Amino acid sequence: MANFFPRWSNWLPLKIAICGVVMICGLTAGTWYYVTPKYTRVGYQPIQPVPFPHDIHVSQLGMDCRYCHSFVDVAAYSNLPNTQTCMACHTQVQKDNPKLEPVRASWKTGQPVEWVQLHRTPDYVYYDHSAHVNRGISCASCHGQVNHMPVVYHAKPHSMAWCLECHRHPENFLRPETQITNLDWKPEHEDVGAFIAKYGQPAEAKDDWSKKPRLTQQEIGQTLKERWNIQPPLNCQGCHR
Amino acid sequence: MKRIFEHPPEQLTGKRYWRSLGELSDTPEFRGWLEREFPAGAAQLEGDDWSRRGFLKLMGASMALAGFGLTSCRRPEAHLVPFTKSVEWAIPGKSLYYATAMPRRTGAIPLVVTTHDGRPTKIDGNPLHPASGGATDAFAQASILDLYDPARSKRFVEKGERDEGGKKKENFEVRDRAAFDKYLGELRTKIAADGGAGLAFLVEEVHSPTRERLRVELQKLYPKMRWCVYDPLLTEAQSFATDMSFGPNVRLVPRLERADIVLALDNDFLDCGDGDIAAVRAFSSRRRVGAAKDTMNRLYVVENRYTLTGAMADHRLRCPASQIPEFALALAGKVAAATKDAGLFSTIATLKPFGGPGTKSGEEEAAAKFEEEWLNGVVADLVSKPGASLILAGSHQPVVVQFLAYAINSALKNLGTTLLVREFARTPKTNSIIQLALDINADRVKQLFIFGGDPVYNAPRALTQHKETKAALDWIDLQKMVPDVIRLGHFEDATSAISRWHVPAAHYLEAWGDARTSEGAYLAIQPMILPLFDGMSEIEMMNALLGAPKAEGPELVQETFRASAPPGEFATAWSRLLRDGFASHIELKDKPPTFNSNNAGGVAHTLWAPAPPPTMDSPEIVLVRSYAMDDGRYANNGWLQELPDPITKLTWDNAALMSPAFAKLIGVRTGDLVNVSVTEKTLDPAGNAVKRELVIAALVSPGHCDTSITIPLGYGRKHTGPVGEEAGFNGYLLRTTSNPHFIRADGKTIDNVKVTKAGGTYPLSITQDHWSIEGRGLVREATIEKYREDPEFVKKIAGDDELPAAIPSLYSHPALDAPQQWGMAVDLNVCTGCSACIVACQSENNIPVVGKLQVSHGRAMHWLRLDRYYASEKPFNQDLGEYPENPEIVHEPMMCQHCENAPCETVCPVNATVHSEDGLNVMAYNRCIGTRYCANNCPFKVRRFNYFDYNQRPVGKKEILGVSVYQEYLGPLTTKGAADTVKLQKNPNVTVRMRGVMEKCTYCVQRIEEAKIAAHVRAGASNNTRIPRDSFTSACAQACPSDAIVFGDVNDPESRVSLMKKQDRNYRLLEYLNVKTRTSYLARIRNPNPKMPDASRIAVASLGQGHESLEHVSADREHSKEHEHTEAEPKSEEKP
Repeated sequence: MANFFPRWSNWLPLKIAICGVVMICGLTAGTWYYVTPKYTRVGYQPIQPVPFPHDIHVSQLGMDCRYCHSFVDVAAYSNLPNTQTCMACHTQVQKDNPKLEPVRASWKTGQPVEWVQLHRTPDYVYYDHSAHVNRGISCASCHGQVNHMPVVYHAKPHSMAWCLECHRHPENFLRPETQITNLDWKPEHEDVGAFIAKYGQPAEAKDDWSKKPRLTQQEIGQTLKERWNIQPPLNCQGCHR
Repeated sequence: MKRIFEHPPEQLTGKRYWRSLGELSDTPEFRGWLEREFPAGAAQLEGDDWSRRGFLKLMGASMALAGFGLTSCRRPEAHLVPFTKSVEWAIPGKSLYYATAMPRRTGAIPLVVTTHDGRPTKIDGNPLHPASGGATDAFAQASILDLYDPARSKRFVEKGERDEGGKKKENFEVRDRAAFDKYLGELRTKIAADGGAGLAFLVEEVHSPTRERLRVELQKLYPKMRWCVYDPLLTEAQSFATDMSFGPNVRLVPRLERADIVLALDNDFLDCGDGDIAAVRAFSSRRRVGAAKDTMNRLYVVENRYTLTGAMADHRLRCPASQIPEFALALAGKVAAATKDAGLFSTIATLKPFGGPGTKSGEEEAAAKFEEEWLNGVVADLVSKPGASLILAGSHQPVVVQFLAYAINSALKNLGTTLLVREFARTPKTNSIIQLALDINADRVKQLFIFGGDPVYNAPRALTQHKETKAALDWIDLQKMVPDVIRLGHFEDATSAISRWHVPAAHYLEAWGDARTSEGAYLAIQPMILPLFDGMSEIEMMNALLGAPKAEGPELVQETFRASAPPGEFATAWSRLLRDGFASHIELKDKPPTFNSNNAGGVAHTLWAPAPPPTMDSPEIVLVRSYAMDDGRYANNGWLQELPDPITKLTWDNAALMSPAFAKLIGVRTGDLVNVSVTEKTLDPAGNAVKRELVIAALVSPGHCDTSITIPLGYGRKHTGPVGEEAGFNGYLLRTTSNPHFIRADGKTIDNVKVTKAGGTYPLSITQDHWSIEGRGLVREATIEKYREDPEFVKKIAGDDELPAAIPSLYSHPALDAPQQWGMAVDLNVCTGCSACIVACQSENNIPVVGKLQVSHGRAMHWLRLDRYYASEKPFNQDLGEYPENPEIVHEPMMCQHCENAPCETVCPVNATVHSEDGLNVMAYNRCIGTRYCANNCPFKVRRFNYFDYNQRPVGKKEILGVSVYQEYLGPLTTKGAADTVKLQKNPNVTVRMRGVMEKCTYCVQRIEEAKIAAHVRAGASNNTRIPRDSFTSACAQACPSDAIVFGDVNDPESRVSLMKKQDRNYRLLEYLNVKTRTSYLARIRNPNPKMPDASRIAVASLGQGHESLEHVSADREHSKEHEHTEAEPKSEEKP
């Protein structure tokens, strides 16, 4: 009786198994990487009605974030500037720039400019800006170096795991309250003597930190966390109501 | 030592608490409700052959197929739209609070309204003004839903040719404001031509000084015009009696906080839905006991049906409403004899009680003897406290009763102490609707303005007789006789349908106005939002009729306010008025209380009409205000329709309430239809006796008077909107001008009243058995004497004192280590059961309305329910024909108890419900997969499951394939999506839940978090993140008129909630389960008069006679128990 199965078919089950494993692993790895906010959200840069250059306004002109986002430290939402705010300067400066046409049209007609939403939390997430910016968390921690963005884009993933990263270890992100809107601030910029004089140092720190040439983020964060009694909520109700 | 805990045995003797007759006789239906968290079949799709499983299979397949298309995988583009110009005060995401007031029949309620981004979302009382003290009632809470009602009238409508040339063709033309103004201009010249001789107004009572000012101006312009105030539940009796007894323009203001003894004669003063929240606060201030040494007031109630006031009573006597005059006379006689008061003697001198047939059956004799003893007890008590007692007569009782009540109060020296005579200007020259009907019938009315109301629905029947045919005329016939009828209404209802013009009315949250409280204080009403549907307010309409230029802002109100001469600069005074919500410079004046007994006696003599008492064969019909619908004005309000009646727990309907004995007599059970027929003495043109009939569902209500049937009004109002049009039966059909409040066979106008079984049943959605818990000391009460004997009595109920103080938990729980820990205490002693908390919770937490059918399946979504327990001396065997005729009532608000060892948390497979470090049992909706394990493991049955997408597919009439069908839920067949206006009401700080998600009371976690965030923002670069003591509270606690619910930080020994929990009446539910609830209850204390014949059976503690035997048992274990107590002290629930 002839062989029904040719010789090469002996290895077929193994090949299929290996192929299957590779495919499943590949699919998993692909999903792991591509279907997370780290990939789907970061880098999102929609076309805005006016390509507002944050870099010019903040880095070149030295405007503070709160000039336009005026309620960020009192309300849950960080508001967008209304047309009136734009026109406060642009009736004088760049008043014929064609890129600003939508703003001028809005001023004339009373119809607001429709900006495209970039950072979007789900409806069941209740994020509060004022609770963060008043307590040592900088704009840059969540929005990146907006002051260097010609057109603003999504810089951080804003996933729940990412939120919890900071809520578990706030010392990695806290900075002095005067530096919140200074998006270029680095821990090494901090004057050690002045910092220790103002905030002291954690009780458990043995050595005298004021002798150090510079402070690390952890040291600054640890100091502020203790001094300001920072206890970010780790429970559902902190963000979901 | 190993201890096995068993459920404490139910006491066989002593008092029993029960929710329904079904529970008493332990019917299978009740067992079903008791033993299952959700009733059998609750998870089944209703009304078809599909099982849920089958449906899921099919849906799964379609979902899989839909997946192939990979639709909706793109990121949707959303826009952010800032303002063009800055808006004053507006901060995106921050709520603003404005003071305003809600006009009501008896007087306005001062309010503070929360607005989010320009839309009002929540109503609360104005804490600055004593008329609300920060509290509200269910109607004020629910009125916000009326503002956003998508069925509200949205257009100006003019009706074209009516009934001419034999052609009954009516065409409704949609017009705009300009067309109406033009019409009004033409009408003005017509009116002016004869000095307003043909002009008439039919308005509701709103107590607005500006409306009154404009009325006077109109009167100047059109001197012959008529002004008629009609409100179906407002009676002339009280104001007439006040005028006669104390002079014109006064109003009597009860001071319940000064009264030790209160006797309510068919007066439901604790029903804050009638607008008097201050009365509830005043009463409960004397009801509250902090410790055993405190005193409390005593309440006697005489009434035919159970009311909220009756439920709070220490002694309650069932008496037909039509027999109250006889009762009052007997009372007056005894008080006169005891006080020797000449005024009272002269008032009652000529009044003689009804001399009925002499023979009485043994039972009647016994009842009469009991009543006599009861009365003696009351009189002795009243006389012992001169100047500190108060007799209140129901406003719908006849004038004679009012006189008698005033005279008795005067004899007891209560005038000026517990009953003040307050100056209160009344509208002169006000006609009644009967006079208006006569004028219309005589063709004297040519132009009729109807503001609000719905007279076609709620005016008395048979207002007058046709001048030729002598046929009885209802309002619907009369209104058709007037050529120009202009209706300003919230709905295009039955009245609008026969008016020439219908104009949409502005809601009180949309228009400028003002109003007076029931005590006379001046309140401002300011708009929260521009009229959503272009509505006009009453004062705008009157202003237009005056021909004055259109008022764009508050000019009309400002002018009235200016006339009151506010001190200082006007602009400042005006801003102050708007900020505070009331004018503090207007002083309320009291008049010296002098009771004119001659006047009163004379009028009482002519009006005294004794009649035979109603019998079981010919009972009286009592028409009362509904606790949910008022007079029918809230008919399209889903929150109120679904609000269980505080006494009967009936939703979405009204029913004829009757006593168990009467129901047995005519052979009906709850839900059977009965035929109520009233035969009048008057004859119709054909010579037959006029007969009015109403077929209505029966509801057996323990504690109801046997010879009386109560029908709540306000239901059966068609033509308002899809929500209410199928709800209930219209009691107004029985109402005539001669018998507006109770109908009885008096031998003068009514020949007989018959209530018979009609055959057939009607589905009633009654929630009294829903979420039942087996009685293990859930409600605890005692008399004040028992409490003084044993201040620790609550601990001896349900074996609480036999438990070791610290039972270990099987499960590990996260540490409760936040500096502030939240908890709640509910004082059952002052909870009146008014249900304001239920609606407040619904409004705050975006709780959907599910509809009548869903309620009957046990799917109501209320996070907070009010359990109403009847209490009676002994178990009853209905098979042997025993009925509990006169039980007591205890209300118990029940919501998530936030157990520290929460049973729900341990069974959730996805950790959707977990514990927070500040002691909340939190619920993450987006994690919930809907297994419902948690609800099945909840001993309090407080978790609610979204069986359907109640928010997306609202209740009401649906268009299906072009046919409109009334059905609450038809799944995918109906269009998805709520009306835009309804979305505007939602609280933006609370997630709107979808189908398949479990939810429950969160202790208003959004408010906790808001307070926390505010504390953190305030702290800034410092470490003081503590929320100030009692700086915020939950929605239910905020709304509660009697402050029965207190919420706060249990870690702070000085917080209000901690002080409550420290009291010895404090107890926790189902303590033996070791769930460690955060919500605790304070036992109810009653204050019976030991000299009363029924004193022995009132509030005999939950232990009753079983107390002694249990005490023996506990005494044996006293030793070991005390030992355990001491060592466990630091671990007990009240943290140091």
